[in-house]
Amino acid sequence: MHRVLFATVSAWLLFCLAAAAQESKYYELAKGDYPHDVAVGPAGEVWFAGQKAGIAGRLDPATGKVERIPLGKDSAPHGVIVGPDGAPWFTDGGQNAIVRVDPTSKEVKVWPLPAERSPYTNLNTAAFDGKGRIWFTGQNGIYGRLDPTSGEIKVWDAPKGRGPYGITGTPKGDIWFVSLAGSYLANLDLESGRATVYEPPTKDQGARRVWSDSTGRLWISEWNSGNVSVYDPASKGWKQWKLPGDKPHTYAVWVDPDDKVWLSEWTANAVVRFDPATEKFASFPSDRPNANVRQMLGRRGEAWIAESGTERIRVIRYPAKTN
Amino acid sequence: MLQRLPALVVGLITALAGAAAGAADGDAARGERQFQRCYACHSLDPNETATLQGPTLFQIFNRPAATVTGYEYSEAMRAQAAMGLTWDAATLDRYMADPDAVVPGTRMSVPPVRNAQDRADLLAYLARSGSYQR
Repeated sequence: MHRVLFATVSAWLLFCLAAAAQESKYYELAKGDYPHDVAVGPAGEVWFAGQKAGIAGRLDPATGKVERIPLGKDSAPHGVIVGPDGAPWFTDGGQNAIVRVDPTSKEVKVWPLPAERSPYTNLNTAAFDGKGRIWFTGQNGIYGRLDPTSGEIKVWDAPKGRGPYGITGTPKGDIWFVSLAGSYLANLDLESGRATVYEPPTKDQGARRVWSDSTGRLWISEWNSGNVSVYDPASKGWKQWKLPGDKPHTYAVWVDPDDKVWLSEWTANAVVRFDPATEKFASFPSDRPNANVRQMLGRRGEAWIAESGTERIRVIRYPAKTN
Repeated sequence: MLQRLPALVVGLITALAGAAAGAADGDAARGERQFQRCYACHSLDPNETATLQGPTLFQIFNRPAATVTGYEYSEAMRAQAAMGLTWDAATLDRYMADPDAVVPGTRMSVPPVRNAQDRADLLAYLARSGSYQR
């Protein structure tokens, strides 16, 4: 009995100490900015998609100063990523367009979807392939590709209709997306656009977001099941783990350069880090209720988190491996 | 039963009047296009089989909040429901205009529908499925 108690207390202490070794900082945004997604640029500047204000937000982490750049009439950006050109690229549901902000001049360039796909496809998230083209999902049941050089946009109907949500590029430049309502992972042929569907083992799991690790394995946050799952295209194998706590709901996923898997879990109101080597979770709860973290993205040693519910940007600085 | 009939008739008329009042200035055909904002997460089909992130909007008018059987509502929505939130036309209109003002902390992240005519059109489209039947 004592041995069990000792082991339990020790495990709990280790869990807490691991979490305590990190440093959290919160940045308050203007009320109404509603940061849906966040991305960090090459110089450490942080961009966020101010969905309800229709802005690109640029945070200087050193000073906390926020620059707000209007993206256009009816703008409501959902996603933001930083492209290979160092610029933030937005999936703007309100304008039904892909939008780029020049990081220096702040010039805004808008690529609307074709007229037959108007007025609203519920644009969600984007990712670059290895050829400089940006791929995107629309939750109303589409995915597409923009070639920024030629301006050509192609849009395809997604398997099973509505649901396409998170999308990611692998180190090789392959593109994968997940469908929340369709509960699947799909790989896209970069030329024909054809989607090949892969069903996770858990039925109706609600695959919400996806991120690639350094070896091209796809990590998936499952909203309905509360799992994190991984698909290895090389072995065609799946594995999954339930997040800690009662009735978890997994939303965001980002894999850091050390291949640790960062997730947001809504029931516990926490960011969670999963170590695939040890299969252990460490939890980093928000210091305010209803943080509603919908997405996170970072760079070595920094996990950046958009708290849509509290209208704050959070960073967790953690000890990273050295190169 | 006959003794309860007048009350039932009055209730039905009130419910339909509430729906009609909100939808009176709206165009349901335009509202169907506006519903594309909601389509990813909601359905008006009573026989919908997809697992969607939002509850059904079938007969949403005058439905007390957080009462769709089997749907897992957020704490924020359940708190408002406990205080008597009901989806009448005026409340739906306010919710579409500013979801957080009606249900602070709501999980619904759709951008506000700022244009009043767009909201009226949406209400007209939602009204097509009728009012909530107890």
